[in-house]
Amino acid sequence: MIGPYASSRRRRFTRLDIALLTLLALAVAWFILRLYSGEAYRWNWRVIGRYMVRYDAAAGRWRANVLLNGLLTTIRLSLWSGILATLIGLVMGVVATRKRLIARLITRSYVEFARNTPPLVLVFLFYYFLGDQIIAVLGLEQAIMSLGPVQRQILTVIGAPPRQFPAFLSAVVTLALFEGAYLTEIVRAGIESVSRGQWEAAYALGLSPLDRYRFVILPQAWRVVLPATVGQFISIIKDSAIVAVISIPELTFQGLEVMAATYRTFEIWITIALLYFVLSSSCSWIAHALERRMAINR
Amino acid sequence: MSISSHHDAIITVSGISKTFPNGVRALDDVSVSIARQEVLVVIGPSGSGKSTFLRCLNGLETVDRGTIVVDGIPLDHDRSNRLEIRKEVGMVFQQFNLFPHMTVGENIDLAQRRVRGTSAADARTVSLELLAKVGLEERVDSYPARLSGGQQQRVAIARALALRPKVMLFDEATSALDPEMIGEVLDVMRALAAEGMTMVVVTHEMGFAREVGDRAVFIDEGRFVELASAQRLFDAPREDRTRAFLSKVL
Ligand SMILES: Nc1ncnc2c1ncn2[C@@H]1O[C@H](COP(=O)(O)OP(=O)(O)OP(=O)(O)O)[C@@H](O)[C@H]1O
Ligand SMILES: [Mg+2]
Repeated sequence: MIGPYASSRRRRFTRLDIALLTLLALAVAWFILRLYSGEAYRWNWRVIGRYMVRYDAAAGRWRANVLLNGLLTTIRLSLWSGILATLIGLVMGVVATRKRLIARLITRSYVEFARNTPPLVLVFLFYYFLGDQIIAVLGLEQAIMSLGPVQRQILTVIGAPPRQFPAFLSAVVTLALFEGAYLTEIVRAGIESVSRGQWEAAYALGLSPLDRYRFVILPQAWRVVLPATVGQFISIIKDSAIVAVISIPELTFQGLEVMAATYRTFEIWITIALLYFVLSSSCSWIAHALERRMAINR
Repeated sequence: MSISSHHDAIITVSGISKTFPNGVRALDDVSVSIARQEVLVVIGPSGSGKSTFLRCLNGLETVDRGTIVVDGIPLDHDRSNRLEIRKEVGMVFQQFNLFPHMTVGENIDLAQRRVRGTSAADARTVSLELLAKVGLEERVDSYPARLSGGQQQRVAIARALALRPKVMLFDEATSALDPEMIGEVLDVMRALAAEGMTMVVVTHEMGFAREVGDRAVFIDEGRFVELASAQRLFDAPREDRTRAFLSKVL
């Protein structure tokens, strides 16, 4: 199990690398030159600071402002979607490996539907369907409004403020259903990576179907599934930007808002790109660490 | 056949046939009854249906026709019957199939705890006893990958014995082993037979088969060509096909 980050890989620059880096540097230089020549772009990074945190004079302390709140919403959104998508992937992935035709039919249709539809379309579909129909049927809105102040506070911290919660929930479910299709495939591949002999030994020992998965198959599938799942979280973080279209105040949506107010195009989008990059790359760092760890423990 | 008078048969196989979805007929109208404490050895060319026969006996394969009764329980589509039978029948595979993510001890504990509901401490006591029996007590905390092939197969035998089965099935238990390790595994099997374990043994070790087997059956193309006492089958085969096969492998 030699991963892409195995230490045996050489890390010296080749001539091609140097050529490419030179080109990249030239491109950056040209871009900056363009900004400053002619009608000079006047950078104003302080806008970013102001929209990150603001001083609340009444309370006498600093508070998170829209951009930081957007970042937090993106994290909450990704986290819940990720957890839900993992559950969906686990269940559907297991079902996908069953012999029964109907099981494969259901999981196949789900995966194909989710993967062959633009996520943007899915977002609208689910938002209007889920938001208008299901949430109304469940009486979620009334339930939230009848919550006590402490519960409302908890809801706000882990999800969204009560008024925005139904929209937040549809966003979470939409993302989870979308990413769950990829996780289904990851789990299925993980299960299929376990050799037939393991199934047969588990069966011959008299283990129940559930125990066969729980003690024999899934722990071995994990090696394949876990790093790939963490990797999929990167997609979830990036794809979460799409729910800006249904006015979930996540990072991208807030970026649009701040831009409308300030017109600081470059500062805002560079900042937002960096924030996404930090979130995603920390996930990929975790994925690689897990991958290496599992390779060692083998 | 005096060895297996009907009333003390522990396994009764009547007229089973098995055709795989790809059209291969692996078993064709096979019947046999196996007595308690009997060792039945199964020989035959590659692809003749030996494994399929063995795997039908614990329900790893389902039969298309015929019936199998193990210790009075019919092996049918009833889930609880199948589970009961799997508790009474242990199986040892050519590729060992130990669980690589569990220690030797955990491998042997698992079924006791999950199938019988034995406490962790009691299961471990039994596991250590079984490991002592196969001479590997001190490897209880090792992972399978740290053991030699012969040691892994001995652990696999101990694991198959964990539920105190009445019958043990061996599917070419020594075929994947380096020659110098075959002996240690055969010794364990010999000792089991001597204790009176009922065994069905698929093997290419003809010397061992003749020595340990009470009866032997030669399978070819899914049919029982010749079934006789092991001595008779090896020393004086009556069927041409059996003779031809034995002359090739002996
Ligand atoms: N799952 C399966 N699907 C289709 N055909 C199968 C399957 N398992 C076995 N067969 C076929 O059934 C026949 C009998 O196979 P089996 O494994 O029982 O033979 P065997 O006597 O054990 O052979 P070997 O000595 O090579 O282990 C073979 O032709 C084999 O190709
Ligand atoms: Mg075989």
